Amino acid sequence: MEEQACPRCKTTKYRNPSLKLMVNVCGHTLCESCVDLLFLKGSGSCPECQIALRRANFRVQLYEDAMVEKEVDIRKRILRDFNKREEDFETQSEYDNYLEEIENVIYNLTNNIDVIETNKKIEQYKKENKDQIIKNKSKLGKKENELEELLQLERLEQEERRLEFIKKELEIKRHKIREKEALIDELMFSEQDARNIIQLFASSIHASEDEIKFAPKPTTFSTGIKFGQQNNTCYLSVPKIDEGPIYHYIPITQEIEGPIPPVWGELKIQGYISHVRAASEGERAGGFGSNIACLRALQEAMAGLYHDSSKQLLEILTIT
Amino acid sequence: MFPLSSQKKYWSFNDENDIAVLREETNAEFISKHGASMTEEKREKHFLSVGEERVLQRFYESQLKEFCKRFNPPMPKPTIATALHYFKRFYLRNSVMDYHPKEILVTCVYLACKVEEFNVSISQFVANIMGDREKASDIILNNELLLMQQLNYNLTIHNPFRPVEGLLIDIKTRYPAIENPEKLRPYIDEFLEKVFLTDSVLLYAPSQIALAATLHAASSVNANLDNYVTDILFSRDHLTAIVEAVRKIRSMAKCVEFPPRDLVKNLEKKLDKCRNQDNNPDSDIYKQRMQEMLDEEDLLDNEKYAKIVQNQADHDEKVLGVTNVLSPTDT
Repeated sequence: MEEQACPRCKTTKYRNPSLKLMVNVCGHTLCESCVDLLFLKGSGSCPECQIALRRANFRVQLYEDAMVEKEVDIRKRILRDFNKREEDFETQSEYDNYLEEIENVIYNLTNNIDVIETNKKIEQYKKENKDQIIKNKSKLGKKENELEELLQLERLEQEERRLEFIKKELEIKRHKIREKEALIDELMFSEQDARNIIQLFASSIHASEDEIKFAPKPTTFSTGIKFGQQNNTCYLSVPKIDEGPIYHYIPITQEIEGPIPPVWGELKIQGYISHVRAASEGERAGGFGSNIACLRALQEAMAGLYHDSSKQLLEILTIT
Repeated sequence: MFPLSSQKKYWSFNDENDIAVLREETNAEFISKHGASMTEEKREKHFLSVGEERVLQRFYESQLKEFCKRFNPPMPKPTIATALHYFKRFYLRNSVMDYHPKEILVTCVYLACKVEEFNVSISQFVANIMGDREKASDIILNNELLLMQQLNYNLTIHNPFRPVEGLLIDIKTRYPAIENPEKLRPYIDEFLEKVFLTDSVLLYAPSQIALAATLHAASSVNANLDNYVTDILFSRDHLTAIVEAVRKIRSMAKCVEFPPRDLVKNLEKKLDKCRNQDNNPDSDIYKQRMQEMLDEEDLLDNEKYAKIVQNQADHDEKVLGVTNVLSPTDT
């Protein structure tokens, strides 16, 4: 991965671990200290594209690619106006076309293609759909309110559960103290055998402990969906990956140029293995058996025995 | 394994003649390059001949072996063999007069230590060298890349040690007629030591050398392995070639002899005069060149720095609209 670096002062994440890259609407990055330095007066121009920028618009870069930041910015702005929903269209294809158009607008603005044209288009759209935009905005607000309410409800519930838990704990404590007192009283005044009394009390405490049950666990998500229901939702089918031809393993053959050395199986049967030192525990732990060393020695002893240098053409080596 | 190795592909020569031709070419090339202005007689007097180069190479091969034997911590045999192999390969295409064998020797050993996973640090390594250790480590590290390049980065060496083990396992398993094959071991080791001082390793496969060593050891203890070779190991059609190879390896090992001391001394004196001063770390030319390289690096760095500063200034000017940022004390 390429190191994150400030394009102006060339500080890298490696040299300054606390380096914070900031990004503005133009999509060019600057590190925090450069922003402080260049935008002392609150506004200035981007050192790369010379666009006038305001300091307040600098944000911490979330994505590694600054272009993504820029795109996210633009998308947010566009979607504020292009806020129609599926219900607003009569057919699926109309809705799809609408989505396509939004993506086109965002893409153009991000990559600086026909900016003026695109901006004009946006203005036109705004004018044409003024009412609907406002309506949808309020609708959106309603939905947000609903969510907010749900969250609030859940928070209350949680608080309630916590209080109940504390109350129960206190009760248990009190119960224990009372029981202890009773036990001592009994021991002091009863004429029964002390051991019997203790046993009796111990079993009763046991029984009461089992009774105490903690508050029921929450069974719904904050969105109101019950736990365990997500199994029913159907996922998109996994796209099929275009696969190349299947890989066929071809075992490597070693050129030996000599008598054929034994193979793995023969080491033991023919007794080669009994003539080498047994592998130590440490060697075995490292994955080396004595058979590996044995086979290698045998292979190297045989390899090249038929070597006849007068028959081969030596490749001429030129060293510069 | 050997049949697919670079050792077979690039470094197994057809016969001794090929190697000799290669060495002659190397020698002639050096002389024609450095002795262009000399007459034939003067050249002969001034430069080393191929034969003289060989004497020095042989001498330093034995020196290399001695150095490794005395090495502390003790060096495993394959490392020594690999170092010797590198040394031989290096002087096939390089003249002794170009690079002094003393320097290549230690570099070969150092590289072999790395390749054979015999772990020593450079400081530990030069502790085994007498004399100026800092200079020695400089020489080694400077020559290491050159050596690797001259070896064409074919660093894996197939040594005959594992094949020897394999042969002994095979003999024990399939030829129980010979009693106690372990007693061959000291003779095998002795023979292999000699083999490494010959050019056999540049001609034959490691398994062939291993077989020759085993057969030589068997004949030394009057054991008979002939039936094993003829009946068990080989079929008729391959027998003649391998017998010839074994015979050749054994006769080459037999001929190993150490060059007389005073001859080596004379040749070393001659070498000091005719060696390529560009590669002599004691020479002025070499020192000067090193210094120049260092200076050049500094210069380059300075240029780069100036450029960066200029860029920065331009950038600031464009962005901030000020030519120069002055600190408060200047105003």
